[in-house]
Amino acid sequence: MKFDADERVSIAALGKLDAEGPRIARYRELDSFTIGDTNYVIGATDPFFFKAVWLTLRYAVFNVPLGLIAALCVALLLNQSVRGIGYWRTLYYLPAVLPAAATALLWWWLFAPKSGLINWGLGQVGIGPMGWFTDKNLVLPSFIIMSTWGVFGANTVILLAGLKNIPPELYEAAAIDGAGTWSKFRRITIPMLSPALFYNLIMGMIAALQLFTQQAFIPTDREDGWFLNWFIYNEAFNSGRMGYASAVGWLTSILIIAITLLVFRSSTAWVFYESSREGEGA
Amino acid sequence: MTANTTTPATTAYHDPLARRRLIQTIFGRILIYALLLFGAALILIPFFWMVSTSLKTEDQLFVWPPKWLPDPVAFENYFDSWKQLDSIAPGLTFWRIMGNTLFITVLAMFGEMFSAAIVAYGFARFRFKGRDTIFFIMLSTMMIPATLTMVPGFLVWREFGLLNTYDPLTLPALTAWGPAYIFLLRQFFLTIPRDMDDAATVDGANTVQIFFYIMLPMVKPAFLAIGVLAFQGNWNNLQAPLIYLNTTQFFTLILSMQFFQQSLSKSAPKWHYMMAMATMMAAPILLMFFTAQRYFIEGLNVGAVKG
Repeated sequence: MKFDADERVSIAALGKLDAEGPRIARYRELDSFTIGDTNYVIGATDPFFFKAVWLTLRYAVFNVPLGLIAALCVALLLNQSVRGIGYWRTLYYLPAVLPAAATALLWWWLFAPKSGLINWGLGQVGIGPMGWFTDKNLVLPSFIIMSTWGVFGANTVILLAGLKNIPPELYEAAAIDGAGTWSKFRRITIPMLSPALFYNLIMGMIAALQLFTQQAFIPTDREDGWFLNWFIYNEAFNSGRMGYASAVGWLTSILIIAITLLVFRSSTAWVFYESSREGEGA
Repeated sequence: MTANTTTPATTAYHDPLARRRLIQTIFGRILIYALLLFGAALILIPFFWMVSTSLKTEDQLFVWPPKWLPDPVAFENYFDSWKQLDSIAPGLTFWRIMGNTLFITVLAMFGEMFSAAIVAYGFARFRFKGRDTIFFIMLSTMMIPATLTMVPGFLVWREFGLLNTYDPLTLPALTAWGPAYIFLLRQFFLTIPRDMDDAATVDGANTVQIFFYIMLPMVKPAFLAIGVLAFQGNWNNLQAPLIYLNTTQFFTLILSMQFFQQSLSKSAPKWHYMMAMATMMAAPILLMFFTAQRYFIEGLNVGAVKG
């Protein structure tokens, strides 16, 4: 299970390219399934692989629901017959329009340990400077904060549209029956929104598990864990281990499908579709 | 306070709680707007900081406490950043980069738009054996993550000998590779009554003419939304150019930025240049957003089928 000496020239050693001519990587011949098996076994013993999986999984599981909750709060706020709602909506959607590369660079700068704005702001309220992307424990929260800022606007717009679609008669009927605010929220708003929430949850998870551009622009330490997509890319094109990278790619895909199925399965418990009705008749 | 119904402000009798309700309402309103403003600040401050940094000279960057407004304003950052990139990768001027990027983006955008429309038209209007099966299979390809196709795609293009060209980035767009786009357009096409087709046929139109003169114009919002999404997708795409392009002359905008960033030191990168580049990269998309907002927002519903 050793990799023999490389005569590979890295195709994407971007820092070392010269403009004169292309360098095409020669890669290990992909030879039937023996290599595949070997690669899967390697995957199971490579510590960086596990770090990548752990990081990516935690990211998806924390980031997506957090973003949805934040988006829900803002959407509820905006639904209160606020004046100039179009302008607010545009404003909140703005970070989602910013390209991921720009977002990544911006937040890398904001989170810079010595000179970043965030640490300055924290210093004003007396909290010491934090390492953010350079601190092993803060890598995940940093990415989560960055992604939430970037994406929650899109979710807000979708949820706002969903809120506007809830017929007000439902609330009136509930009020007549004596329902309080929380009850109305829990028994009308959430169920009526649940299809939209469900859709956003699934799409968000699938996207979160494939994070790439942000990781490309924010060089975190490999020890702290890279995101899976970038890990695969690095293995394939910087290290030349295409077979291994493909194997990891398959594992990632299985992970994505498994999580999607999980969420689908759970959906029967909490997603309410108006078109389907079960329970007491008439 | 969160009721969606409004109660009449005037009543026929004196309401002892009227004043209290009024105060509650005012307080509630203030709270709502305060929260919204707080959120707006959270959103706008990073944007402002990005532009502000891009206009600073290098010594202003690390001033402590940080300066909010650069003084002097260094507009030349927008030119110097590209000049510095040029010095690392000779021949890669800003215009060259823009040319590359626009070529790929525009070509791929039109490719995606029209191929998706044609395929959706086929699914919506023609009956053939296995149509629904094929549609379902196409939809299920949406589940295939890009991660998986990264390496095999590269290998396939290598066999064609088309690495380091623009073909891997533009040709696939012509093959209607966007199941979400096809899905959306098909739904819209299905809402067009067949009477229109029939009327056109009676007037002597063939299928192609029906497509271009009747079907497409009727789904213009969705069609343009897909155009916007496709433009955005290709403009922001890093993975594909990163894998396929080798020679710096061919680099797209985002790839050039990444290349530039790799060449700088990690602990003290030239933030002002990076922010300038980031702003320039974001500018067209932001501009598109402000002029064609509804298509962005419409594009959010791609895949979320309505009625």
